[in-house]
Amino acid sequence: MAASKTALTSNLFAIGADRLALLGKHHKALMQGYLDGYIDESALGDSVLKKLMAARILWRPDEQQPLMLRPLVSELIASMVADENRRQVNADVAEKLEQIHNRVQAYKEAQHKGDYSIAETQLQRLTEQVHDMSGQFEEAIDSLWNRLNSDFGFVRSLNDKIRENERAQQQLRRLLDGLELIDFNTLIELSEGNSHLRKLLVSQLQSQLSSHHSSLLEVQKRLIGLLAKFRQQQSRSLLINNMVAYLRQHPAYHPADYPNRVQVPVLFNQAAHLQPKGSIALDRTHERQTLAELVHHLPKSASLNLPEQHSANFAELFVNEEIAARQQALKQDVENFYLHVVDNSAPVSALGYLEQQALTWDGEIWLYQIMADYQALPRHEQNMFRLRNEEKPVSAANQLMLIHDIYIQLRA
Amino acid sequence: MIEHGPLLERLLAGDFICEISDSDGFRHLNNEQTQLAINHYLRPLNRRIVSNDERSVYFLAYHELTPDAREHLSSQFALTVQSLLPVLEWLQLIQETLGRDSALTAGDTIKLQEFVLRTEDNQSLRQRLNTLATDRFFNSQSEALDQQVKLIFRRLKEHGYLRQPHGDRQYYIVTGKIDYLLDIIRFIRDEEHLPVDDAPAQESLI
Repeated sequence: MAASKTALTSNLFAIGADRLALLGKHHKALMQGYLDGYIDESALGDSVLKKLMAARILWRPDEQQPLMLRPLVSELIASMVADENRRQVNADVAEKLEQIHNRVQAYKEAQHKGDYSIAETQLQRLTEQVHDMSGQFEEAIDSLWNRLNSDFGFVRSLNDKIRENERAQQQLRRLLDGLELIDFNTLIELSEGNSHLRKLLVSQLQSQLSSHHSSLLEVQKRLIGLLAKFRQQQSRSLLINNMVAYLRQHPAYHPADYPNRVQVPVLFNQAAHLQPKGSIALDRTHERQTLAELVHHLPKSASLNLPEQHSANFAELFVNEEIAARQQALKQDVENFYLHVVDNSAPVSALGYLEQQALTWDGEIWLYQIMADYQALPRHEQNMFRLRNEEKPVSAANQLMLIHDIYIQLRA
Repeated sequence: MIEHGPLLERLLAGDFICEISDSDGFRHLNNEQTQLAINHYLRPLNRRIVSNDERSVYFLAYHELTPDAREHLSSQFALTVQSLLPVLEWLQLIQETLGRDSALTAGDTIKLQEFVLRTEDNQSLRQRLNTLATDRFFNSQSEALDQQVKLIFRRLKEHGYLRQPHGDRQYYIVTGKIDYLLDIIRFIRDEEHLPVDDAPAQESLI
């Protein structure tokens, strides 16, 4: 019996490995078939097709139909590439529970009979089935998260997203119902007196399922939130489209005069804007520093680079009338001084004239203005005057010459 | 109060404060104590803080409706009514051009260049954009697509519907003021019983 069993497993092994290899060998054609929904028979040879059909990878649903991937193969691909459009969520727990129940009975019977090798196989199958059930939830939760995180991006329109979201919520409800079906009291009873079973069916499963349960509740919360968001978006789009249609159909439409109602709705009460302005306060000593910095940071070159005409205009604009009048008076006095020089043939002292006429100008300003007027004369008129500066060094040690007075004489 | 200076200035300048336009300010305004304090400060200026129903956007309203205030509100309202159709059409155009499955909402980003590229080669979109750009609200004088699009976005930015995070980069974020505009539409619709539906058709509920 042991020999035939080994033969059977090795036979199974050979066939399985062979068929898995087939999947790998024709991966491109099969994947294309997954995407297109049918297999391009011309791309594969007849014998290959026969092999693939014999391996239960492909099938022909009926005579008129092209060859297709078997649903289980499609499902395998969908799960491997997390293709949420086609991924199946299996929420059937009752069937699994029944299988587990049966396995436990078979395992117990085998143990009772002392047939340990069969008991071990049964325990192994049982372990697989328990993991399978837990894995089924895990797969479903993974799929749900995937859909959530992509904002149901695998379908195009908002309506499809809403439908997908609702479908996901139904799946989720079935999964939660399935979790309810698992009654740990029964499982505890079932595993009574066997530590293997207790570990497998109670402690391990319980912790797994409770984590699944909390994941599912979280997903449900998020799904409901997302659905609300989708609905809101949908209603916005509809509002925009319908309002545009309405306004286009009624070009003369004008809304009621809400701002002049006794009670103005808050949405229409939008106050006029005010622009607060401020300047530096000069009465605060500590702000002078700031002001000085500001002045320091003023662009300097701007006024220097202006063309001459501009600066003239600028100056004229800002000349103080009082200053202008004084300037004019000074010029007038200097002109009178020159007339006096013309009338006298002897050299005239500028400061002497200032004193003699009892003019109030500052001596230095007076001398400057006289020199300025002299410089302003045309060259041949300048030659008509002889200017002599009375100069003295500042001190014995400093040879800088200071002008103390100017003597002007008309050349003969 | 000092710490709310910049926020106050924005409010007084007539800005709409939402999560997108000024997230810090928006957070402060969500605090009732702060609101009370600011309202107290604004009282002598005849202003108060108000928001839309969902409290997604805040702005300043008059406290008392003096004749001057009403006059301003009337002109403001006329401007809003004038902007209604152009802004809605712009929303539609963006949604279709960029192939979005839903209308723009606060926080969405629009790349100007992407919009131009997609409009360029499509005669009907180009035509619609041209009509929109020459609308009184946008009032474009240019024939060039690039200029028209830039003008439209600039105008929407001036009106507070868009925010441009970097002055030299042509991408924009939709602000909460769009919500405000849609709230106005809903209000007018409800008030005047306009046949403008925003509930999905029965078919999708089955």
